[in-house]
Amino acid sequence: MSQAWETVIGLETHVQLRTRSKMFCGCSTSFGAPPNTQVCPVCLGLPGALPVANGAAIGLAVRGALALGCTVHPKSIFARKNYFYPDLPKGYQISQFDQPLATQGSLSFLSPERGAVTATIVRLHLEEDAGKSIHDRFPKATAVDLNRSGVPLIEIVGGPDLRSPAEARAYLQTLKQLLEYIGISDCDMEKGSLRVDANVSIRRAGETALNTRTEVKNINAFSFVEKALGVERDRQIALVESGGSVSQQTMLYDAKESTVRPQRSKEESHDYRYFPEPDLPPLVLTPEFVAEQQSELPELPGQKRERFMAQYALSREHATVLTASRAVAEYYEHVVRAPAEPQSAANWVMTEALADAKDHQEQLRVSPAALAQIIALVKGGTLSNQAAKRVFAEVASKGGDPRTIAESLGLVLVADTNVLAAWVSDVLGAHAPEVGRYKNGETKLMAFFVGQVMRASKGKADPKLAQRVLEEKLSA
Amino acid sequence: MSVSRDEVLRIAQLAELDVDDDALPEIAEQMSRILDYVAQLSAIPTNGTVKTFVPGPDAMRFRPDEVAPSPLMFGPAQFAPAFKEGFFVVPKLGQFE
Amino acid sequence: MSDARAVADRLIKAKRLNALLTPAKDLRKSLLAQAEAARTTGVLYGMPVAVKDNICTLEFTTTCGSKILEGYQSPYEATAITKLKAAGALIAGKTNCDEFAMGSSTEHSAYGRVIHPLDKARVPGGSSGGSAALVAAGAVPAALGSDTGGSVRQPAAFCGVVGMKPTYGRVSRYGLVAFGSSLDQIGVLGRSVHDAARVLSVISGRDARDSTCEDRDPLRLPTVPESLQGFVIGLPKEYFPAELDPAVKRACDRAIRMMKELGAAVREVSLPHTPYAVPTYYVIAPAEASSNLARYDGVRYGPRFDGHQDLHALYRTTRGQGFGPEVRRRILVGTYVLSAGYYDAYYRRAQQMRALIAQDFRNAFDRGVDLLFTPTVPAPAFKAGEKLSDPIAMYMSDIFTVTANLAGLPAMSLPIGRVKGLPIGGQLIGQAFLEDEMIEAAYALERVVPATDEA
Ligand SMILES: [Mg+2]
Ligand SMILES: [Zn+2]
Repeated sequence: MSQAWETVIGLETHVQLRTRSKMFCGCSTSFGAPPNTQVCPVCLGLPGALPVANGAAIGLAVRGALALGCTVHPKSIFARKNYFYPDLPKGYQISQFDQPLATQGSLSFLSPERGAVTATIVRLHLEEDAGKSIHDRFPKATAVDLNRSGVPLIEIVGGPDLRSPAEARAYLQTLKQLLEYIGISDCDMEKGSLRVDANVSIRRAGETALNTRTEVKNINAFSFVEKALGVERDRQIALVESGGSVSQQTMLYDAKESTVRPQRSKEESHDYRYFPEPDLPPLVLTPEFVAEQQSELPELPGQKRERFMAQYALSREHATVLTASRAVAEYYEHVVRAPAEPQSAANWVMTEALADAKDHQEQLRVSPAALAQIIALVKGGTLSNQAAKRVFAEVASKGGDPRTIAESLGLVLVADTNVLAAWVSDVLGAHAPEVGRYKNGETKLMAFFVGQVMRASKGKADPKLAQRVLEEKLSA
Repeated sequence: MSVSRDEVLRIAQLAELDVDDDALPEIAEQMSRILDYVAQLSAIPTNGTVKTFVPGPDAMRFRPDEVAPSPLMFGPAQFAPAFKEGFFVVPKLGQFE
Repeated sequence: MSDARAVADRLIKAKRLNALLTPAKDLRKSLLAQAEAARTTGVLYGMPVAVKDNICTLEFTTTCGSKILEGYQSPYEATAITKLKAAGALIAGKTNCDEFAMGSSTEHSAYGRVIHPLDKARVPGGSSGGSAALVAAGAVPAALGSDTGGSVRQPAAFCGVVGMKPTYGRVSRYGLVAFGSSLDQIGVLGRSVHDAARVLSVISGRDARDSTCEDRDPLRLPTVPESLQGFVIGLPKEYFPAELDPAVKRACDRAIRMMKELGAAVREVSLPHTPYAVPTYYVIAPAEASSNLARYDGVRYGPRFDGHQDLHALYRTTRGQGFGPEVRRRILVGTYVLSAGYYDAYYRRAQQMRALIAQDFRNAFDRGVDLLFTPTVPAPAFKAGEKLSDPIAMYMSDIFTVTANLAGLPAMSLPIGRVKGLPIGGQLIGQAFLEDEMIEAAYALERVVPATDEA
């Protein structure tokens, strides 16, 4: 493809809020119940039923808006979005339109191409989910399950600030991390609790105006985000380069075929006839309510990263890794407070602890106190780095006290100079040519001798002490 | 006449209502009369400064987040026109339609 | 229980009016069972109350006078019904009405028109025409109706009974099938002010299932006053136009004179935006209705009409054949005024006009007026078929009643005389949540006004 094209992407993300009951009725939101068993007059859209808003959902939405730096409006309005679909029981979705809950926020993330980027959040509003249409259940019919009908969602509309499919993925990853951090959603794309639609257009590099965009829908797994947007970008470029032009339409991504195809145009002529929902008075948020939500917010990933860099003298990269999830960041700080030296703690958490967690359902199996003790054993010369890793693995799988384990495995370093001197003599005796070269000024061979002593001792020699003994013998 | 037959058909499509060809002229005529009649609203000066009014409480009350569905004396199987294996059933609508 | 049997007999005797949609057999059976279970300590113990067929009940089907809900049995009941039953009342069948409460004559019912009890050629008014006719015929002391633009008060006036519409938010709408959500209120038709008021008091009050229902205690019934000393009654001049039916004018003048004799001060006021009320109403009500009626799509409940190949055909045949002409007309008008490019010119403008109309009332009340008195309808009951071909002429029947719905105010109609044997209604409009004052004045007027005399 031509290098002269730039891609412009904006994401609309729907996020299911973590509540027990639905947005406008008392039905359960739990996942996986038999079809149409978590339903009531309200979420079935029965004649005469009326919505009553869930206060917890509103609180979580406000938390999300605050975490994204949005202006939360003291008064917002629910509106009806009218369209017909079999999984939309009332013939309208209760959403927000011209007076949304929050506007004007931002999200900073690390672009793989451009480094740190701040994307705008245009708006964040509350709405109810539709039910589920299942097209492959019966041969000639569509099956409708309304258990999900009325589940609370926030829709987060990002500005057209993303410049590549990879960047869109990074943005989404950061957004997901933030929402998980603040605990308002489990953000599980496979369960449908995080869904994303993308607006995509292309332009010649250097242009600033926005061209006609398409909307890409049906991206239903995280791993498809980059692929789907890449396919659509390539389609647009090929179209324009062959003399065509992009028309505003909705494209559906087909993961099996890795293609996009236009939604049937008849469904396109959407005229949603929004108007204020007469069944719900205005959503008025008192300053106390907003302040309470603010106080429920933890330190956000960005803030935490900056603090880690300042407080623990960590590099940006290390701080970024350590703050990627709230659980890891808290674990790291517990290790440091145990106490342990911050840089060593960072190295240990980023390598051994995270690798172990990855293989064990994200469980951080070694307690912060035990890890701090392991680090101290290395520092004090009792364990080599190699031996310490074995101790870590042992504590992770079986638990127990690191020093006891180190001793029982015979991993404690030998710091007795008499024992060391014997190993040193053996090594020097076996490597006479190297000894000669060393004495002729090739001092970098010291590392080689230390390695040989470690080998001879099966890793039990204290390497610092071994080097001192070596230096003495070689200068004699 | 302020509403054309084509407009009636467009609106009927939005509203998912079958309109008979025979009935179309009369519907267009009646819609036009009604819309011409209510159009007198646009003749009076209500500029952007006039607030809108809706009766009822000034602010919504919040419901506690408790699983407490309002009662249903019997389930969808008993009132749905087509129901199979726990699902409402409608004519097939392809995923990519 | 013999009482329940007598109740059923009286209702079945009124069959010629086509006011009741419940089959006689079902009615008898249910009334006996209800009487058995009724709370003897309730303030309405044993009182039969008929219910408009757009209010959900577990006892009987709820069809809203529409084919699209033919045979529909609601799996839950309206809050108003729960409250009535808790007070010991008997749900005395479902009454015929204009389809989805859209109409002013009860001719727009899929189940046939309701006959005026005093003149079979005439309409009982609407849309709560079945409820009004049953009360007027003496079959029940009271019945529930719903009032979106006058649908309780106008048939009350036509049939010579009392009809009360409470303040918006006074009675829960949970279980009232929505027509115009920001206008709808359940109201009561009664053979006397007291019968209507005691039922209204029972169904009023807070409900956690309706966000638009105010968090207030139930309405407390006033006592019957000795006089109207201290009351200031406003007469809005826009409601007494030159072309008002002379007999209606005479009946109103007589009622006004009597209120003065009871000690009330009477004062002319102006509600200048009144001429815009009907057009405002006929934008807002159809707009809300077009959305409220989207749920009748043949997917989840109600009958599904044949001949469909695909989903759109299913929608279109079910809705096209299930809804009658007036409902279809209003859905189309409502869809039109909300559609892209028209919203500002129609819907927003109407909501702004609504604010001006509500402000007119506040201005009058701020100047010391306690209540307004007007004719309920410009003329007595018209003949069946007379206005069917002219929707706007039909809409003008609501000219004096829609304003209270637009402003959310309590209002009621009570009989104030007759012309050539046909009842004439007088309307009292009160201040928000001051139904008690309105009822007090009505008590006093009811005692002195010769309701069945020629005006
Ligand atoms: Mg949305
Ligand atoms: Zn529900």
